[in-house]
Parts: sequence; structure tokens; C-alpha cells
Amino acid sequence: MTLATASVVDVLVGATTDVFETMIFRQLKAGEIFWGHATRPKSQIVGTVGFAGSSTGLVAFHASLPAARDFTSAMLGIEVDEEGLPDAVGEITNMIAGAFRTRMAAFQDAWAISVPTVTVGSDFYIKPISTGDRVIVAFHMDTHELFVELIITPDAEAAV
Amino acid sequence: MRFLIVDDSSTMRRIIINTLTKLGYETFLEAGNGREGLDRMGAAQVDLVITDWNMPEMNGIDFVRNLRSTPHGKSVPVLMVTTNAANADVAEALKAGVNNYVVKPFTADTLKEKINAVALHA
Repeated sequence: MTLATASVVDVLVGATTDVFETMIFRQLKAGEIFWGHATRPKSQIVGTVGFAGSSTGLVAFHASLPAARDFTSAMLGIEVDEEGLPDAVGEITNMIAGAFRTRMAAFQDAWAISVPTVTVGSDFYIKPISTGDRVIVAFHMDTHELFVELIITPDAEAAV
Repeated sequence: MRFLIVDDSSTMRRIIINTLTKLGYETFLEAGNGREGLDRMGAAQVDLVITDWNMPEMNGIDFVRNLRSTPHGKSVPVLMVTTNAANADVAEALKAGVNNYVVKPFTADTLKEKINAVALHA
């Protein structure tokens, strides 16, 4: 059964653009959508929030450090050094995943979601160990490229 | 009006303080989880509490339940600012003693409207 359908991706895109427009005051333009497990987005900071319930998985938000500095400064109205970026990326991921969860709850029981975790680095990728669906949506914010990733499995088996 | 802002994210505390400052408010206390929030409540006069839901150590629901059992926290207005916005979430929060609810992402106008609503009934 396919869970990451086009309409689910539309919900994810809507949640992401809403967070950026409302909290960061930046327009995001959704770009290419990558289906499957082959794509590895290039990023230097990644926030992840897990969810569980009628389906299980995670939402990940990928950015470069310059992009993270840019949107964090826009969100807080101050320049932020690298130490402040993980908390900001974690909160943005939390809001994207939370808005996605809320919108999905109109069609199913609400998932339980985890607190966000953030990874900083450059030579890593998220490798699902389940047979679930994976989709990555590219977004453009000014000159930056950002990615939101959804991994979703139909039952309680681990997504990663 | 003195606010207590309880959120494990320093980013979200900063966003809320920035928004409240724009709305003309000046006095803020901060706490990183529910347990710290209870400590702050016991140490200073607070007129309105703004709390997150998902926090380590003590989450927002347990914080509000504990707060309502203290003499100084029995009647203080509490606004929950969270991404948990399913109907069951709102019902659980209200049952725990939350007075009103702001769903992230939010605008300054929404926060202002909810503060006015809970302050009116304080």
C-alpha cells in the first residue's frame, strides 16, 4: 500500500510553506519531488521528528548552514551564530511536522510525534531500514535550496 | 503584565518574547520545561503563563496539572502554544486546566487575540 501519495505530499508542502510564511516571513517555492530511496539531499543541518500511530515514520528538514543562518536570522530578527542554529532548525522541523500531523488528522487518528533531534555535518544521509515509502520535496528560498523528507511505513515497524 | 514563557526551545521562547514585545509587553520570565516553570511560579508573581506542550522532563500538560494544584497557580491564565492541534489534543489541554490554545505557526494578531481572551476571564 502506498502511503506517500501525491495528496499526502501536497499536505506536507502546504504545512512547510505555511510555517515559512507565518513564522519566518519568507516565501518558499516548492520544486522537484524525488520519490524512492536513491536521492540523498546535500545538506549540513538536518532536523528530524518521528511519528507513530496508524502509520510510522519521520519528517526531516534539510538545509545548508548559510540557508539556516539566513532563515534563523529572519525568524528571530537577530544574527545567530552556528551554536544557535540546531535549536532553530529543531523548532522549524517541529512546526513543519506538527502542522503536517494536524492536517493529516483530518483523515485519520492523530499520530503521536517525538521531540525534534538535529544532526549537523556534511557526509551523512538518512537510510530507512523498513520497506516504507520515501519522498523528498525540494524548496527554493531566495538563492537557497531546502529539502523536506517524509519516510512513512504502514504499521509500527521502525522507519529508520 | 508579567509573562512566564515555558518552552524547551530557546528559539521559540525568543519568537514569543519578540512577538509580545511588538504587542507592547515588557516583562518576561523564562523556563525550559514544566519543572522549571513550577519553580519560577513559586518564586515570582506571574500574570499569564504561555507554555509549550512537548517538553522533556515535564511536559506542558503535567506542568499545568501541577500548577493548578498550587495556591499561586490555581487561577493564573494559561495559554498553550503548540503544534498539537488535533481535536483530542485541545480537549486534553482544556481538561488539564489550559484556558486557551494557540497553534504553531501563529501570527502576532492570533497571540494578541488569545491573550486578550484569557486576560478578560482572569
